[in-house]
Amino acid sequence: MSDPDELLRIEGIRKSFPGVVALDGVDFDLRRGEVHVLLGENGAGKSTLIKMLSGAYTPDAGRILAGGEEVRIHGAQDSERLGIATIYQEFNLVPDLTVAENIFLGRQPRRFGMIDRKRMEADAEILLQRVGVPVSPRARVRDLGIARLQMVEIAKALSLEARVLVMDEPTAVLTSEEVEKLFAIVRQLRADGVGIVFITHHLEEIAALGDRVTVIRDGKSVGQVPAATPQDELVRLMVGRSIEQQYPRERTDTGAALLSVQGLTRDGVFHDVSFEVHAGEVVGIAGLVGAGRTEVVRAVFGADPYDRGAVRVSGTALRRHDVNAALTAGIGLVPEDRKGQGLVLDASVEENLGLVTLRKATRAGIVDLKGQHTAAERIAGQLGVRMAGLGQHVRTLSGGNQQKVVIGKWLLADTRVLILDEPTRGIDVGAKVEIYQLINELTAAGAAVLMISSDLPEVLGMSDRVLVMAQGRIAGELAADEATQDAVMALAVSTPGTPTTTDKEAGRGH
Amino acid sequence: MATDTLKNSSTGAAGVRRLLLDNGALTALIVLVIAMSALSGDFLTTDNLLNVGVQAAVTAILAFGATFVIVSAGIDLSVGSVAALSATVLAWSATSHGVPVFLAVVLAVATGIVAGLVNGFLIAYGKLPSFIATLAMLSVGRGLALVISGGSPIAFPDSVSHLGDTLGGWLPVPVLVMILMGLIAAFVLGRTYIGRSMYAIGGNEEAARLSGLRVNKQKLAIYALSGLFAAVAGIVLAARLSSAQPQAANGYELDAIAAVVIGGASLAGGTGKASGTLIGALILAVLRNGLNLLNVSAFWQQVVIGVVIALAVLLDTVRRKAGATPVAAGAGGGKGRQAGTYALAAVFTVALVAATSLLHTGSASGKPKIGLSLSTLNNPFFVQIRAGAQAEARKQGVDLTVTDAQNDASQQANQLQNFTSSGLGAIIVNPVDSDAASNSVKSADKAGIPVVAVDRGVNNATTATLVASDNVAGGELAAKTIAEKLGGHGKIVILQGQAGTSAARERAQGFADGLKAYPGIQVVAQQPADFDRTKGLDVMSNLLQAHPDVQGVIAANDEMALGAIKALGSKAGSSVPVVGFDGTPDGLTAVKNGTLYASVAQQPSQLGKIAVDNALKAVKDQRIPSAIKVPVKVVTKDNVAGFTG
Repeated sequence: MSDPDELLRIEGIRKSFPGVVALDGVDFDLRRGEVHVLLGENGAGKSTLIKMLSGAYTPDAGRILAGGEEVRIHGAQDSERLGIATIYQEFNLVPDLTVAENIFLGRQPRRFGMIDRKRMEADAEILLQRVGVPVSPRARVRDLGIARLQMVEIAKALSLEARVLVMDEPTAVLTSEEVEKLFAIVRQLRADGVGIVFITHHLEEIAALGDRVTVIRDGKSVGQVPAATPQDELVRLMVGRSIEQQYPRERTDTGAALLSVQGLTRDGVFHDVSFEVHAGEVVGIAGLVGAGRTEVVRAVFGADPYDRGAVRVSGTALRRHDVNAALTAGIGLVPEDRKGQGLVLDASVEENLGLVTLRKATRAGIVDLKGQHTAAERIAGQLGVRMAGLGQHVRTLSGGNQQKVVIGKWLLADTRVLILDEPTRGIDVGAKVEIYQLINELTAAGAAVLMISSDLPEVLGMSDRVLVMAQGRIAGELAADEATQDAVMALAVSTPGTPTTTDKEAGRGH
Repeated sequence: MATDTLKNSSTGAAGVRRLLLDNGALTALIVLVIAMSALSGDFLTTDNLLNVGVQAAVTAILAFGATFVIVSAGIDLSVGSVAALSATVLAWSATSHGVPVFLAVVLAVATGIVAGLVNGFLIAYGKLPSFIATLAMLSVGRGLALVISGGSPIAFPDSVSHLGDTLGGWLPVPVLVMILMGLIAAFVLGRTYIGRSMYAIGGNEEAARLSGLRVNKQKLAIYALSGLFAAVAGIVLAARLSSAQPQAANGYELDAIAAVVIGGASLAGGTGKASGTLIGALILAVLRNGLNLLNVSAFWQQVVIGVVIALAVLLDTVRRKAGATPVAAGAGGGKGRQAGTYALAAVFTVALVAATSLLHTGSASGKPKIGLSLSTLNNPFFVQIRAGAQAEARKQGVDLTVTDAQNDASQQANQLQNFTSSGLGAIIVNPVDSDAASNSVKSADKAGIPVVAVDRGVNNATTATLVASDNVAGGELAAKTIAEKLGGHGKIVILQGQAGTSAARERAQGFADGLKAYPGIQVVAQQPADFDRTKGLDVMSNLLQAHPDVQGVIAANDEMALGAIKALGSKAGSSVPVVGFDGTPDGLTAVKNGTLYASVAQQPSQLGKIAVDNALKAVKDQRIPSAIKVPVKVVTKDNVAGFTG
């Protein structure tokens, strides 16, 4: 018999879908009180693997052992009985129910056949304290931020007395502060003896939190290494080759200001935001989540309205809240929510690439489909989109290739100012570098790039200048050589300006 | 993917199999056609297939319009009403106001477009859910059609009515219009800016907006297109009947939506094709036509249609689920998918054949065949006509097929067409509308099949005879009965029948004529309650709020009278006399119990019996009188014992 500390063992798991082999001989094991990191590129098979544990898929071959005994997991109930809880990237919470109701959904304590609200809320309170979130059990989930939603999910997992907790990229959507908080909770759980399967793309998190790492590549487990393994080695294992440089920014000479934003204000959201982006330049916007970065760029792009200020492209002012004006002026936006705002998921690669140029390709109401096809073919080739064909639905592409399609549609439209909002979120290392190369090509061709990122090393590595936002204002600007993690963080947590002075300035038409 | 198609198109058989596997609805249609041909010898004839085309036309045209909306992730519930409104506008302007026909057609199409624009405006700029905005338009459109027409059908201008005819004596124009509109829809969806926008908006509205598509403007145009297609459908529908019916196309929006979904579109938006929608509409038409030919009981037909809709969509979902592969399917996956599709298709066929043969009442050869098309079976009166007819048919050894037109003139036209093409000896028709039935009866005459009208006459066409009770005389009798009971003085209310039906009109006229003799009787309100008991109850309750002192009630049928009695409670029969019409079993029981003061009794089972009797005589070429009046009688407590109904 094996290790008594062993919670879970997976041996030679195989799973194929019609036409694709998703997993082909994966071995994995999890001990009590450890954080075992699953590492792999998008599409390597991590999600398929954890879906075997949650009962969403059943393996074609191989076995799963829990506590030394072979088990079959055929559904969520089986998985729950084995004490396995999974926290997906997309949370499974009902927005219009309270926190307590969500935690005990389907298992609400009852009294005389009625839900015992008092007990439920008291129990929820204890769980919430354990994960250290100051949220009322009576708060509605809709009103919570993303970090708190995650904590509620963890509380829910705790309420199930989970012995195995699977976390699928929990840090992807969190700010560094929130990540620290999450790590503290995970460490606490580890100390309590819970086994944690942790999926992440952030290599630095592995050393900070993990104990062991299993690397999956192309559906096979290619190695199990200690978490202290150097990052280069991890990357080599993951992508099967070594990556020379993680942030290959090539600076070009900057030209005239292409985009200039002056005194942009939406009351209560962002105030007096002014900056310029020059041709051939990458300007990064750093800051905590909620600092108003996405709101500002959406207003610049015309997707949302603003109250005061002006947006100019090459000196020409744009109409407020008018996407088409921004588009005509040559601004493009790669939104934060790739699937929700950037892509028509059930349409083909070709259709998605042609979305922005659809109007231009129309004569007398009729679309030049042949021209659209040729253009899509050219750009897909240029970006190296890995797909079965232009007709493939973008839903089935990996995250990196999806992002290339979003960027590609703007490239086709001859965009001169490209706004990237979290361009590499949820994208593996290999694809990240490809996107950075794209940014280089764009600026080399004289375009301007404005990039929001919560990934500090990325902002520092790729930007020529860094703007730091805090509480809806620009807290400071750092040149590439003075931008360090500490300098950025110091500005990000500062309290810039006061409402009175800026309001006056705006009134004067600053 | 590319190599896959290449491989398969190289061999013809494999290509066809691929096409079927990729299109569950097409498979379902073929299975259905094979099953129908096997079960009925009359199905697979040129004539009948053209019938199917004609019968699919209106639904298909409406459904093409609905495809635009559904692809863009909306829903349009108003298409049926807008179709009726457009046709009414055409007929009203051309017939009643002498507008040149060309202009009237333009006006009708404009009406459809305006209705669509209003929908689009409410949805795009008013941010109403499309379900609600178009539900409102459904009611407004229907209401306006009734207002404009005053509730009666309006004759359609002859030049436009040719749209319902045939070209060269065999090619029906509605089929041509359907094909033309289908090609337009396919072109719009596939090749135009607005079409491609529909897919983008339906797939992800926010992504479309952030990619510079003017989503709101597109929505206006999408709903306007849907309105335009509805107007065309309305014109075709009215042309077939030579009459614009304010109640036409009632409930067709659901058929249109069903056709679109059967055709493979998703209500979540982003997918759908004109070809799929056409197949969906054909499936519905083949089913209705086949079930008519097979003489499946009218009630079971609805069950079978529902089951087939569910199975057809299920077939497609299962196929899709099996085929939901991220990359081009390999050999193994393909095989599993094929097996799944074949298995489901087999289940589908077996279920269909079993159901139809079970419900098939069996037609022994040699007996004379007669078809009876009833306006509705949702009313005891007509159920009794059927009972009388069936009893007589059994006695005389006649093979009688009964269909239910569900108060839809165009469905009745389809059924009569099916009767004509399956070569019956005689047809008995109880028209939904006397004008609308004329074209169908004419074509039966042309085919040498005698037609007997029952209960309601057919205008502008020759029928062998009309077997009916006299509605106007009955109405006068009802008026006289209540007036005399009240001693010539008092306030009464009148519950009218369904607006737009001839029975409602004639009885209302009878009431008015009868009351002229009694100036002391004051009619304080007259409201329609659609021949329906529940509505009778509601309308009467409302009227009692306004007129608590009412002293008498006349209802245009017993069902509404019984509803009114419920509303009146203990007052019914004691202080407020209620007079009904028809003499249905429920009505007669109420007369016996004293809650219903009187009912003007027709003898529906007699109507059915005499109709079959005369139809049989017509088959045998015996002489029959051109009109047969079945007497009506006022039934009160005194003589109710003598009526068996």
